[in-house]
Amino acid sequence: MPVRFLKNASELADVSWETPLPVQVANAKPVPADTLLVATTTVTADANRDLLGSTSTELPTLDGCMQYRKLVWFYFRAGADSTTYRILARATDHNGAPLGAGWQEIVPATTLPGAANSWNRIEIPATTDGYYDQYRIEVQRTAGSNYPLTSKIVGVR
Amino acid sequence: MTPKVCLVMREFSSFNRAWTQILRNLGIDYTLCIATAGSTSATIQTPQGVFAAGSADLRGYFRQFDAVILCDHSLNLNDTARINYSVFWLSWNAPEDPAFLFFNPHFSTAITESAYNSNFPSDFPIVRPDPSDIAGTLEAADGGSATNGDPLIQTQTRARGACVLFLAENILAHVQTICNAHINNTPYYWRLNTAKHSTLASATYTHRVARNGRAGEILAVPAPPTSSEDTETYPSDCVVAYRYRNCFWLPHALARSPFSVNLWDVAVQPFVFWLLYGLQLAGVRPRYKLPVQVETDHPLQATGTGAPFNHAITTQMGILEASWDYMRDFARRKNTAIVNGLVVGTKYRSTSTTYHWHLLYSTSRTQAERDAAMRVHQILLAGHREGSTPCGVHDHTIGSGSGYWSAAVSANFVRHSGMRYGAPNNVPIARGRCCVAPHVLPAGVAGADAQTVQVGDTELVEWDIPTSGTGNTFDLPMDNIHAARIIIESEIEEMLALGFGDGYCAGHKYTNTAANNSGGECYWQALKEFGFRGVRSASACNTNLNTKRIAPNRFWHGFHLIGDMALDIYGAGIASFSWGLYHPSAPDGGDAVRYYQLDHSSDISSGWTTNPELAWRAYRRVLCQATGRWLAMTAVTLGAAYFHPIHCLMPASPSRVLDRFDGWNILNAANQPHYNHAVELLENMDAVVRLLPDVLYWGTITDVMDHRERVMG
Repeated sequence: MPVRFLKNASELADVSWETPLPVQVANAKPVPADTLLVATTTVTADANRDLLGSTSTELPTLDGCMQYRKLVWFYFRAGADSTTYRILARATDHNGAPLGAGWQEIVPATTLPGAANSWNRIEIPATTDGYYDQYRIEVQRTAGSNYPLTSKIVGVR
Repeated sequence: MTPKVCLVMREFSSFNRAWTQILRNLGIDYTLCIATAGSTSATIQTPQGVFAAGSADLRGYFRQFDAVILCDHSLNLNDTARINYSVFWLSWNAPEDPAFLFFNPHFSTAITESAYNSNFPSDFPIVRPDPSDIAGTLEAADGGSATNGDPLIQTQTRARGACVLFLAENILAHVQTICNAHINNTPYYWRLNTAKHSTLASATYTHRVARNGRAGEILAVPAPPTSSEDTETYPSDCVVAYRYRNCFWLPHALARSPFSVNLWDVAVQPFVFWLLYGLQLAGVRPRYKLPVQVETDHPLQATGTGAPFNHAITTQMGILEASWDYMRDFARRKNTAIVNGLVVGTKYRSTSTTYHWHLLYSTSRTQAERDAAMRVHQILLAGHREGSTPCGVHDHTIGSGSGYWSAAVSANFVRHSGMRYGAPNNVPIARGRCCVAPHVLPAGVAGADAQTVQVGDTELVEWDIPTSGTGNTFDLPMDNIHAARIIIESEIEEMLALGFGDGYCAGHKYTNTAANNSGGECYWQALKEFGFRGVRSASACNTNLNTKRIAPNRFWHGFHLIGDMALDIYGAGIASFSWGLYHPSAPDGGDAVRYYQLDHSSDISSGWTTNPELAWRAYRRVLCQATGRWLAMTAVTLGAAYFHPIHCLMPASPSRVLDRFDGWNILNAANQPHYNHAVELLENMDAVVRLLPDVLYWGTITDVMDHRERVMG
């Protein structure tokens, strides 16, 4: 008894070399991650300064991130000077408008890990899933001198 | 043949990502190799193994490339090691060897390493800089003054440029040029050992990059002055670019700084010309050429009639008319399109008689003024139809005056009449209640006004939507697609009323947004609905509200968000218009020299009124800075450069609008040197394009968007 399948919605076909069983190819999906940002930031003592150098507190660092379960922040810090980072997030409506003013603070001011010339990785959020539309990632030097911080942020679906 | 180059660098912490970004944009394959040290004992880490810097293995490895590029340099002539490892390569001169491109190379006599000095070619014709005898071994450049800061890492301001004569091409071009610099922050050109050069120039040499078949070739020198006023001359042994066999000694190209290339972090690389020129000299034929184009904002507008020019409106219009006639002709000759963001919204929402609509039609303007404005308008209109000066919407009448979504609410918004969203149609003006999953929406919940709305991937049903009523004036919340549709339709209606066939630069389907605010998703969606393919946009895309960023890669559902680069010669908010190249009484930032911070060590301001040479110095620096910004935008970020004609062209002489700069021989209405930014900028960029036929071509914004899609994948 040959294996038969519905071809072109109306035609019943036998499985053969000419008409193979249509299957979905496994293990060929695109990598579910996108590079969202590569930026070099001069880490200063400015309060509320984000990775893009903005101190405008309502301005997101990343927008349109709803499709991402998690963001992965890779960074290379050239200096060991004491630094804190803070991560804010919020949702927008379908027009892209934030649902309200301000942010949800998902990581309060926390010491930025890593020594001088070190590679580091931070998951955003650290636990649970994200799916926020907008993120604001702030860094602030609390002692020492300014130094460059080079970041790459990847969105993972 | 696939173009391929090898980049040799010392450390990623100072590696400028623009090197690789430019190569990607040109479709040139590249390999990064790391030198383990700056000394001759360094090994070179390649993907095929680690080789000693002077080894036959490395030489063999290099032979697969069209060119090898040295990425490192030094600001300090006292350094004893920076690229010492490359000294061996100066002797790899066989036809099978690649071209070697040295940009701002460190080869000073402070290098004491014996392996370096013993391997440095004895016939090398450029005098090695001696930090203890700088005056005897280098030529102080650009007036010889110190820059306020490291001259090699300057980006948007503080140019050190030159008018350079390219000998083989016989072309003069103003390009940022520093051959070497030192910790005194002074830029220098090189000096030539003329005897050695003479020997090389008469010695036959066979290599594909030796255009003249000789071992030595002067490529470029500081151009001799074209005016007796300009006394900044250089001795005959001064050079800025030289070919020694297959090794190119070229000025500074890219800063040693970990600049990233991203939606925000794109520091301007104003010296990029020399990289492009070096690639061409080395015969690296890119897969793709880069389209060069320029845009203007507010192509027809009036400005203040006060000091220093005291131009009447008709005089302003006369300067614009002549300049636009020139620009239209230039675009036709060069097969480019000068895209213009035409201020709209004024037909309904502004009574200011400085703007396009009211200049043409307001009875507050005299007939003579309206006629003069109409002559400019007709040039733009004809150019729009033929494709040389296409115009698109650019609306400063909404929100905070800064365009799309620049405020939460556009108070007392006045819409147009007719069409789909105009009065008296009762249309949605704000978000309603909504359900983004219509398949779970219970029957009867959505009201009779329910409609399907799509923004990006999201399709939803909205109901209970606030509407406009039949009137034409209301407070318009700006954060929604309904507002975006009303605004954009009103803008297009005005363009049609002005005689344009569309609001999106004809076939380019593009416009440059007011204040570079593209709004956000709802505006991008609405623009797509009206047929736009892309707009110019800042990264923070709804200032002054500041709640939005553009999409990663500046690409949203097929819609382009093109980067912006101003080429203006004044600071908006500081002055109403540019006071010229330099004016002793201009407000800080009100003239080109002050705006671009080009008064190095006060070497322009200190003698402006007594030393005519300084006008030429200002001219050179301004042109180099603006061209550098434009070229960086073209080559690195594939963005759009623009200027405001009305604000930049008033320093032109009303009676000799199109004349080229000629120092104090041609004066403007303020009795200062005449300068037409449009003419000078276009002519200089044209010289650059003619110098780089393998790399650049005059194109259009459509070519830019096509190229973005090509190289961004």
